Amino acid sequence: MFDFNLIYRIYDIPSWKLALAVSGGFVLFYWVGCLFIRPFLRLFVRSRSGTNDLVGYVLSCFCVFYGLLLGLIAVAAYQNFGEVDKNVSKEAVALRALYQDVNGYPHPVDQDLCWLLRDYTLYVIKYAWPLQKKGIIPDGGRVRVTAFHERLLAFEPQTKGQEVLHAETLRQFNIFFEARRMRLHSVTTGIPAVMWYVVLIGALINIAIVWMFDMRFLTHLLLGGMLVFFLGAMIFLIAAMDNPLRGEVSVSSEAFELVYKSMMEESNLELED
Amino acid sequence: MKNNKIDVTSGLTRRDCLKQGSGAFALASMRALAPLVFAGCSELIPISDAKPVKVGILHSQTGQMAMSENPLRDIELMAIEDINAAGGILGAQIDPIVEDGASRATTVFPKRAKKLLSESKVTVVFGCWTSASRKAVLPVFEESNGLLFYPASYEGNESSRNIIYSGSTPNQQILPAIDWLLSEAGGSRKRIFLVGSDDVYQRTENLIIRKYLQDKSVMVVGETFIPPGHKDTGIAQDIKKSSPDAILSTLTGDINLSFFNEWAAADVTADLVPVVSTNVGEDELRRMRSNNVKGHFSARSYFQSLNTDANKKFIDRFQQEHGYDRITDETIEAAYSSVYLWKAAVEKAGSFNVDKVREALHSGVKFDGPGGELRIDPKTQHAYKRFRLGRVGKNRQFEIVNQSADSIAPDPYPQSVFPGWSCDWTNGGVKQGAEVKIQN
Repeated sequence: MFDFNLIYRIYDIPSWKLALAVSGGFVLFYWVGCLFIRPFLRLFVRSRSGTNDLVGYVLSCFCVFYGLLLGLIAVAAYQNFGEVDKNVSKEAVALRALYQDVNGYPHPVDQDLCWLLRDYTLYVIKYAWPLQKKGIIPDGGRVRVTAFHERLLAFEPQTKGQEVLHAETLRQFNIFFEARRMRLHSVTTGIPAVMWYVVLIGALINIAIVWMFDMRFLTHLLLGGMLVFFLGAMIFLIAAMDNPLRGEVSVSSEAFELVYKSMMEESNLELED
Repeated sequence: MKNNKIDVTSGLTRRDCLKQGSGAFALASMRALAPLVFAGCSELIPISDAKPVKVGILHSQTGQMAMSENPLRDIELMAIEDINAAGGILGAQIDPIVEDGASRATTVFPKRAKKLLSESKVTVVFGCWTSASRKAVLPVFEESNGLLFYPASYEGNESSRNIIYSGSTPNQQILPAIDWLLSEAGGSRKRIFLVGSDDVYQRTENLIIRKYLQDKSVMVVGETFIPPGHKDTGIAQDIKKSSPDAILSTLTGDINLSFFNEWAAADVTADLVPVVSTNVGEDELRRMRSNNVKGHFSARSYFQSLNTDANKKFIDRFQQEHGYDRITDETIEAAYSSVYLWKAAVEKAGSFNVDKVREALHSGVKFDGPGGELRIDPKTQHAYKRFRLGRVGKNRQFEIVNQSADSIAPDPYPQSVFPGWSCDWTNGGVKQGAEVKIQN
């Protein structure tokens, strides 16, 4: 039984190597087909007059549908990517606001809450992101968020000002929590397997039609090779942008790193001074 | 003639190309594409030949113990990260599996311990803080022949072949503090008041203290236990009425805050009646008003203010990782050193096997930690610890006023309290004596 998860190993390969491997693989497959499969396919069309016109019409017609499919999938993958990127930024912004809010609590509650948020941020950068890149939903953030929430709920405001601050912090926490849930849901977000089957079968049909053209052999290698190289590049692009939290072309933890460096690390240095 | 005509426009026919070029093309393309196709694959396979070794971390990450136990998780992960960065142990990288005890000693802790040992198949567990959680997981470790490193100081009266106790026992902590209080340097105190939280740890420790004071002919002028969950002790006036010249406190947690507030309000200075606590460290000081606690003492094996290169390096590393306002304390230091002690034992044993690692620990393997040398007594499987007495000074830190000349051997069963009880894992294990009832 084929393990579909093996396909995801492609995300462990650096993207430029993957791009060359996918496009090069398509070209290689096409060239090998030119040598061994093309002679058989041409048997169906070569004896008729106007072969290239006929194959050209079929290819044009096919490419409309196939191009449309590829285009829509590419747009969907890009939109997915953008959506996840937006959610990650939203979580980081909410985290930043939350950190700002908890700084206003009385001592030592402020310090406890800041430590817990800092732990969470470090965990996301150091442990959660590498796990997400492997397609694993990280679990360590849950306990850190729970610990923070428990500490927050244990605080009893003593003044009107503290009441307002506490209410605002809880509101901010809910925004943060929602964005975090969205990020975790995105770990397994991707184009369904069935769509990939359609894309790959479409690519095969595309190549098979090109093989049917009546051209000199070297012209075939050159023109067909260029066409399938671009086809491979398109499929690589969709694959790379699919699963927005996996692989090299993925949403990075930069937003969290920025929050940590600009806010948490700096405030630590101020405290040290 | 027509058949022999060569197509000069292309130079090659399909047949020629098929014959002559296919072999060369296939070889050349394989040669050219091989690095591209397989280059990323090296990242799929671990560089080291050895498989990663799983170790468990079992602390309360949520619930009321989370604030105390989360730093232990952090420091243990940091130690593992540093070990991995330096090449791992016996060529294997360490894969930490972290579980949450959720501050539920009797329900969640044993389940998580079982999961770590049976499902995750970890080779060792670093975990627990409270005595209740340690006692709850003990049967699980004994049943599976697992190995637990327990970093907290505790009351003694226990020894298991499957637990390495890297915290202090009373004879390494509170009893040397009493000796100091009775000495001239400590003010030759003669009237002691005992105050503690109402739990098995404090009840046992106070029993040991009372017997010890009795042997030294020192009067215990009063003893009080504060039930868990109380926010105020309300005992400052009672203590004042009994006119002690020192107080020994085994209070745990936030109740220390109200106790010191009340004691300061009673207008008795630390010079006159000092309080020596066993459970007030740097983290507890963080929550207290400096003026209320200044001049009082804490008996520990480690203080953040310890002025050694190893300790400075340790604090720098921890703060660089987790923030410059983070603090270290006795239990954090013991948890950190425990990871390295296990590493040293594995390296000496040349294996991750529990029995072989235990044997290596018994053979005197040691680690020079931030608080000093850590090694295990093969008879009791408890650590040799140095006693240190700290006085609360500036910046919520301790000034070390007294320390033992060397590490003190552990004694989990002081004979004055547990007659007939002894422990020797090199010769038969635990010998039971008469039953000792500890009121709770």
